[in-house]
Amino acid sequence: MAAFRNFSRPAGRSRLDYVLLGAMIGLVVLGALCIMSAVNSLSWSNAVVRTHLVALPIGALAFFVGWSFNYQIFDEQWKYLYGFILALLIGVLLFGSYQRGSRSWFVLPFFSMQPSEICRVCTILVAAAYLDRRGQRIREVSTLFGLGALLVPIFGLIMMQPDFSSVVVTFPAILVLLFCTGVNVFYLGLIGLFAGVTGFFTIAWTYIYLHPELLDYWIVNAFYQLAHSPWYMAGFSVLVILGGYLAWWFFKQLRIFLPSFYFVLATLVVLAGLFGGIFVDHQMKPHQRKRVETFLAPRSDPQGAGYNVLQAQIAMGAGGIWGKGLFSGTQSRLGFVPEKHTDFILAVVGEELGLWGTLLVLGLYLLILWRTIVVAYSASDRYGYLVCSGIFGMFFTYMLVNFGMLIGIVPVAGIPLPFISYGGSNLVASLWALGVVQSVYARRIRA
Amino acid sequence: MAVTKIFFNARLKLMMVLAAIAGGVIALRLVDIQVLRHQAYLEMAERNRTQIIYQTAPRGRVFTADGVAVATNEPSFSFYYLGGSQDPIYLEQLAKDFAPRLKMDPKDVVDKLAEGARTGKAVLLAENLSTKSTVSLQELQLYYPGVYLIEETKRTYPYGGFASHLLGYISSMDDREWRNRDPRMGYRLTSKIGKNGIEKKFEKQLKGTDGGVYLEVDYRGRVTSIIQDKKWSAGSDVYLTLDFKLQRAAEEGLKNSKTGRGAAVALDPRTGAVLAMASAPAYDPNIFVPYSDEENPNQSKKINEYNLAIQGIYPPASTFKIITGAAALEYGHLDVNKKINCPGFYDSGPRVFRCWGKHGPMDFFDGMSHSCDVYFYQVAAQTGSAAIERIERKFMIGRQTGIDLPGEKAGNLYGPTRRARNKTYWFIGDTLNLSIGQGELLFTPLKMAQFAAAVASRGNVYRPYYVEKIVSNQTGKTEVLGKTEILQKADLKPETYDLLFKALKHTVEGGTAARVWIKGLDVYGKTGTAQNPHGEDHGWFMAFAGRKGEAPSIALAVFVEFGEGGSSAAGPIARAMLEAYFDLEQPAAKPAVKPQAPVRSDEDYQELLTSGEEDGSLSEF
Repeated sequence: MAAFRNFSRPAGRSRLDYVLLGAMIGLVVLGALCIMSAVNSLSWSNAVVRTHLVALPIGALAFFVGWSFNYQIFDEQWKYLYGFILALLIGVLLFGSYQRGSRSWFVLPFFSMQPSEICRVCTILVAAAYLDRRGQRIREVSTLFGLGALLVPIFGLIMMQPDFSSVVVTFPAILVLLFCTGVNVFYLGLIGLFAGVTGFFTIAWTYIYLHPELLDYWIVNAFYQLAHSPWYMAGFSVLVILGGYLAWWFFKQLRIFLPSFYFVLATLVVLAGLFGGIFVDHQMKPHQRKRVETFLAPRSDPQGAGYNVLQAQIAMGAGGIWGKGLFSGTQSRLGFVPEKHTDFILAVVGEELGLWGTLLVLGLYLLILWRTIVVAYSASDRYGYLVCSGIFGMFFTYMLVNFGMLIGIVPVAGIPLPFISYGGSNLVASLWALGVVQSVYARRIRA
Repeated sequence: MAVTKIFFNARLKLMMVLAAIAGGVIALRLVDIQVLRHQAYLEMAERNRTQIIYQTAPRGRVFTADGVAVATNEPSFSFYYLGGSQDPIYLEQLAKDFAPRLKMDPKDVVDKLAEGARTGKAVLLAENLSTKSTVSLQELQLYYPGVYLIEETKRTYPYGGFASHLLGYISSMDDREWRNRDPRMGYRLTSKIGKNGIEKKFEKQLKGTDGGVYLEVDYRGRVTSIIQDKKWSAGSDVYLTLDFKLQRAAEEGLKNSKTGRGAAVALDPRTGAVLAMASAPAYDPNIFVPYSDEENPNQSKKINEYNLAIQGIYPPASTFKIITGAAALEYGHLDVNKKINCPGFYDSGPRVFRCWGKHGPMDFFDGMSHSCDVYFYQVAAQTGSAAIERIERKFMIGRQTGIDLPGEKAGNLYGPTRRARNKTYWFIGDTLNLSIGQGELLFTPLKMAQFAAAVASRGNVYRPYYVEKIVSNQTGKTEVLGKTEILQKADLKPETYDLLFKALKHTVEGGTAARVWIKGLDVYGKTGTAQNPHGEDHGWFMAFAGRKGEAPSIALAVFVEFGEGGSSAAGPIARAMLEAYFDLEQPAAKPAVKPQAPVRSDEDYQELLTSGEEDGSLSEF
C-alpha cells in the first residue's frame, strides 16, 4: 500500500460503529462504578478514584485519536512504530522505577505509566504490518521466522522487566492474528505443539517438585531426572528422534505420503519444547511454582496461595443472582478479596451486582468481540483486516484469562480485565485499540 | 482476492464460534457459582466474617437399665479476653489480678493480653477449668469489662471404670479421623470424639450441637462486635440393658479374683439382653478428659482396650460336657441311669486318657455333677463325634454371637466334618478330646453366656444386645433399638432339656458347682477347668438361674484367666453376681429417671432401693 486510498463514503453510512461504542461505554461506566465501590474501604481510595477519573478523559482522547487517524499510517510507518516500541521498552529498563519486583513503570512528576500496555497494541499493529507486507508469501514458513525475529526483541525486553502477564496476553493475540492471516495450519499446530510440550513439562515438573513423595515411583523419578541430568536428556532426545522416524515409516507403509520435512519439523519442535520446558523449569521462581500449584489444586491450601481464588469465588457466590447492591458487598468491602480493584474486580461485580452483573460484563465483552470481527470482515484492505483480528485476539485472551482465573480454569496470572479493572495505562491502551477498530470501520468498504 | 476473502471469512467465523463457546462455558460456570452454589458460598462468606468461640455441647448421657447415669457431663470453663481497653496499665492490672488465681506467671498473661490488644483478636487465657476456680474468676468479670468466662461441658464417668469396654471413651481426633468426619456435623479440630464402645458407636446421636459466642471480625480477624450467643443443644441419651448392681458385682469379683484377668457376661435368657459384660483388666475413661486446673495424677494414657469378653478365645473345657451329654441323649439313646465305672483312666487303644479323679461307678447325673471325664469318654465313644458336632452346630459354636460390637472373635468349632473339609484325619483321640471340651474348641466368654442362655431358654440362640433405646433430649423422641432376635433354635427334644436341667441342678446341689447354690433360687451350673499348656489352667463357670419354680431369668458365664479351677476362681464371682441380680429382681417400682440428675453417688443410689431391699429382707423369702 504505497499510497493512501481516497475513500469515497456514500451518504448515510455511519463513520462510527455505535454497537461497539455502546458496549465500550457500558463497560467503562460499569468499571468506574465497581472500582469506586471496591476501593471504598481502602485508605488510599481517593488516590485510586482520582487516578481513574484522570485516566478516563485521557482514554477518551486516545479513543478519538485512534478513530480519527487513518489506521494505514501504522502500516506505512511501521518501522518507526517498531522503533518506538523498542525505545519505550529499553527506556523503562533504564529509567523505570522498580516496584513490586519488576521494572515496568515510568514515574513522572504528574503521573506514572506502564509502557508495556501501549506496547501490546503497538506490537499487534507492527505484526499486522509485517504480515501485510509478506503479500502472497504469507503461507511460507519464512513468514513465521521473519515475524519471530521481529517479535523476539520485544518479548525479550518485556521479560527482562519482567512482566510475564504481558507476554501471556500478547502471544495468543499474535497466534490469532497468524491464524486469521491464513498461515498454514500445520505451522500453527507446530507452535501450539511447542507451547503444549513446554507447558506440559513445566507443569509436570512443578507438580513433582511440590510432591516429592511421587519420586518413589521409578518412572516419575526418571521423568524428573530429565530436567536435570544431561544423560537423560540425550536419551530422551534419541527416543523422540526414533519416534519421529517411526511415524514417518508408519505413514509410508500406509501409503499416506506427507512431506518428510513435516516429520523432521515435528520432531525438532518436540525437542525444542523439551528444552524450552527445561529452561522454564530452571528459570521459575518459587512464587510462580506456587501459582501453578494453586492452579493444580486450588483448595489444597485455602489460607495460602489458593486463598485469592477461593475468596474471589466466595464473594461471587455470595452475590447470588441479584447481588447485594452496589457499594454494599461485605466480602470485598471487608478486604477478603485481594487485588479487588484490579485483577479480581469481577469478584466485586459478582458480589454486588450478582449473576446479572457478571453476565452483563461477559455479554458486553462478547459484543465487542463480535463487532471487532464484523469490522475485520468489512475492512477495505488486508491491513485493516489483520489489525482487527489481532485486537480481537487480544481482547479474547483478556476475557478468557480473567474470567477463567476467577472460575478456576486458568492459573492466576495477574491479568486485568480491560475497561473494568483499575489501571490507567491499560484503560488508555484498550480505548486506543478500540479507536483503531473504529477507524477501520469508518474506512470500510462493505456494509 | 475474492477467494482469499472467503477463506479468511471461514477462519474469522471459526474464531467467533470459539469466542461464543468460551463465553457459553464461562456463563455456565458463573451460573454454577452464583446460583447453584450460592448457599454454600454464602455460608462460607458468613464464616469469613465471624469468629466463633465455641462452647462444647453436653454429650448425651448413658444410663443403665435401672436408671443410673454411668456417663454424664459436668461444667467446664474457659476464660477469654475479648479486647476492650487497650490501656497497658489496665491490662497489667488485669494480669496481676488474674494470674495468681490460676498459678500462672503474670508476665506471660501480660504478653498474651498485649498481643490480643494489638491485633484485636480474642485471647484465650485459660481453658477447661473446673467449677472450683471459676468462683474467683467470676469476680474478675465484674471488675474488668472485656473478660468473659465461657461455660462448656466436659464428659465424665462417675463410676470410673464401670463397663469401660462397653462404654468406651472419648478423646481427640487424629489426622485420619478428622479427614473422615462428616463436615455437616459441625466438628472442630479440637472436638473430642468417641473412640471405642458406645461412645464411638453412637457418636452421631451422643454428640450435641455446639453453641458459641459469635464475634464479627474484619479480614484480619480483629473483633469488631459481638453478634450473638448461640446456646448449645445436648445430644441424645442412650439407655443400656445393663443391670447396674450386677455389672458392679461382676467387675468387683473379677478385680479381686486371683489373677485379676477375666471376663463375666450375663444375659437375660428370656430376651437375649446383656445384663452385664465385664472384662478385666478395665480402665478409667476419665483419664482422657481431665481438668486443666486440677491435680492430675500422672496416669499413663495407655489403656487396656482388649475386651476379653468378646475377644478372648479359650477352650470351654468341662462346660462342654453339656453338649456331649445332649448329643448322647439326643442321638445316642443314652440310658441315664446306667452306671459307668470310672477307674481314673480310659484306654482308647492308641493312648490312655486320664480322668481328674477316681470316681467309681456313676450315672449321667453324677457324671455331670462330678464332671467325670471317663464317663463322658465312654458316652462320646458310643455316641460318636458326628452327633456331638451336630449339637455344636445347633448351638452355633464357632460362629460369632452377632453382638453389635467391633472386633468380636468367632471361636472355633471342632468336629469331624471340619476335619474332613481340611482333608485330614479324625482319630478316636479327637472324639475323646472333643467330649470334654479340649482340643481345638474355642469359646469367647460371650459365646459361653449365649450358650448358657440357649440352654436356659430351651434352645433359643439369641443375638445379644445391650442398647435398649435412645432418647433425644431435644424432641423427646425415643428410638427403641433393643429387639429380641433368635438367631437359631436349638430344637432338641424336651426330654433332653429336662434331663440336662436336672443334671445341671444336681451339679449345683451336690457337685462341682456347689458354690453357687443359693437358697430360694433354682440355680443350674457347670464348671470348667481349661487345660493350659502355657501356664496355670483357666477357670470357667456357666450358670443360669431363676426364682424357685420360675423359668430362668439370668444366664451367665464367668471366665478367669489362669484361675486354676473353675469352681474356686470363677464360682465366687458367679455367686456374687447371682446375689446382686436377684436382690434387685423385685424392686417395688423402678424409680423414674430424673433427667436433671447427672451425677449419682452411692448415697444417692440407696434411695433407689426399697426399704425391704435395704435390710435384705426381701431376698429371703
